[in-house]
Amino acid sequence: MTGEVVSRDRTLEIDGISKHYGDVVAVRDLSLRVSAGEFFGFVGRNGAGKTTTMRIVLGVLAADAGEVRFAGAPLTFASRRQIGYMPEERGLYPKMRVAEQLSYLGALHGMTDADARASALGWLERFGLQDRSDAELQSLSHGNQQRVQLAAALVFSPTILVLDEPFASLDPLAVDVMTAVLREQADAGVPVIFSSHELELVEQLCDRVGIIDKGSMIASGTVDELRKGGRERRWIDVPLAPDAWTPGVPGVRLLRTDGSRRLFELDRGIDDQALLQAALATGPVREFERVDPSLGELFRTVIGGAAA
Amino acid sequence: MKARSWSLGGTRSLPTTVLVARREIRMRLRSRVFVGGTIVMTVLVVVGIVAASLLAGKTNPVQVGFSGGSQALERTFTASAAGLGAKVTVTDIADATAGEAQVAAGTLDVLVTGSATAPTAVAKAAIASNVESALSLAAEAARLSDAGLSPAAVTSAMALVPVRLLQPPKDNENLFASLALGIVLWIALGQYGNMVAQGVVEEKATRIMEILLATIQPSRLLAGKVIGIGLVGLLQLTIVGAAALLAVRVTNVAAIPALGVASILGDIFWFLIGFLFYATAYSAVGSLVSRQEEVQSAVAPIGILQIAAYLLVYAALPNPSGPLATVCSLLPPFAPILMAVRMAASPVPFWQVGLAVALVVASTIGLTWLAGRIYANTAMRLGARVRFMEAFRG
Repeated sequence: MTGEVVSRDRTLEIDGISKHYGDVVAVRDLSLRVSAGEFFGFVGRNGAGKTTTMRIVLGVLAADAGEVRFAGAPLTFASRRQIGYMPEERGLYPKMRVAEQLSYLGALHGMTDADARASALGWLERFGLQDRSDAELQSLSHGNQQRVQLAAALVFSPTILVLDEPFASLDPLAVDVMTAVLREQADAGVPVIFSSHELELVEQLCDRVGIIDKGSMIASGTVDELRKGGRERRWIDVPLAPDAWTPGVPGVRLLRTDGSRRLFELDRGIDDQALLQAALATGPVREFERVDPSLGELFRTVIGGAAA
Repeated sequence: MKARSWSLGGTRSLPTTVLVARREIRMRLRSRVFVGGTIVMTVLVVVGIVAASLLAGKTNPVQVGFSGGSQALERTFTASAAGLGAKVTVTDIADATAGEAQVAAGTLDVLVTGSATAPTAVAKAAIASNVESALSLAAEAARLSDAGLSPAAVTSAMALVPVRLLQPPKDNENLFASLALGIVLWIALGQYGNMVAQGVVEEKATRIMEILLATIQPSRLLAGKVIGIGLVGLLQLTIVGAAALLAVRVTNVAAIPALGVASILGDIFWFLIGFLFYATAYSAVGSLVSRQEEVQSAVAPIGILQIAAYLLVYAALPNPSGPLATVCSLLPPFAPILMAVRMAASPVPFWQVGLAVALVVASTIGLTWLAGRIYANTAMRLGARVRFMEAFRG
């Protein structure tokens, strides 16, 4: 089987979904694609519609419009059962033993008892919890309960992973284990979609990022693509320019001043040479540096632009 | 189609409803509340039966002392008393005055003095009517033989009037035992129904429900819960019931055959039918709320329905084939107890029993669908209790 066939076969497509609660629009005509083996990060403010989108993918909520497809076919109850899901609001049975709980969830997803048990124990070992397999979940620390929650999403070898804020309130060690595991899953051809507030983490981990605001996807692509799509920035050091100096070039905005250094943002299509000319007119130019915005800055710009 | 393997730990995956029921059974059998509750119930029932047998043991035979000429009555008195169902022991009293003192002291219940044909009885405060009748019969027999009748003539003169019943005798003890069992099961049904509602809310409160909902259809989840808790409840009732039967047999406090196997099976059958109906209703209302504190008020309407059914039993019992009893025993919320009572009290046409069962089963299936719909529509709305129509429409 060639890689191309695999990737075409196992793509998750969200196509034009909408959802409203009364007058409140939670998701508006949202579309995205996550290919096999792709690690897709979903960022947005609280209430932007990330959780609603994920719940619609899982079938926990019904969309008002639109469709979710996997491998080209609309998701059915049977195919949804193969999605590993970590809901934003964590929840497992507090009084059930850890391994028993994971086995139960595995069996509910269609595994035999024996397979489910073996897989549960395997994941517990992977997360360093093999000693706690017969402990009640509620006796575990918060961090360990989070590990079990991830194991619950993985125990039945899902074909898709949907994780809502998987890194929230995790200790750094757990973050490392979780990122390693998720990376492995993606490398094994599983489309992984997750939401996060931790923009740095998203920037490091994700193959592609989607920024969602007020229920709409306002930007998506690789981090590099987003940067290119965003406005370019230049640091300019003009020591002799007066404090109130502006370059007078249309489409160029002053963002910040740091002594004699100034940070400008250029609208798309603006020639940075015009800015340089204007700077040279004030006297010597010690620095003229192109900088890429971080995802955080990008996020603020994009969201800010959408809000304006 | 190949037969499905139900063996646990086998090489096939089990249907989700079975998995849910199995988890319910395992978790509840392991819980301290269940184990402790079963032990406490068993101990209470056994202690109650033993206490009843000790109290019953106090009803000693009535001690009757005969003095003087009345002693000739002892034999006929004992025979008549046996015929009238009075337990008596008979003693000779030499001195009537001392005998009266014994009655006053309570060591003797009745003292008979005087001649055989004109005896007088002395008792402390009261005398059991069947003891009094036995005494009167004995004196009458003595007078007849005194008048010159032969013993055979006396016996035939005293013979009781034979009674021929046109209807076979109705075993009232059986009816009341069956009624009592039916009512105990009815109360138990409410308890287990409450457990279902609480189990549903527990899954919402712990938020596991969001994962479950992504895996299993709500109606199957709820059906699994109802079946699992039902089987656990049946086990608990069987343990307590077996302990009660054993205690009754050991202490000999009552006659066990009073309750026939058929009526026990009938009561259990209707209990199961009623449980499926009511537990499903409990699961539906449990789906409307998301906090444990709200469960009690949410299930209240079902409790009222159950009490209404219980009261209808008393209204219907005097005329078990009348229009009220007939109509109500066909309605699903009342059928499980009313039909059981009617069947114990008098023969019920087969079509009525069949119709009642069919209606309960059909409405249970409808309720399961409704409960699943409510569950799915309310699952993602936490906080305020969801109004029924909103939950239904989604």
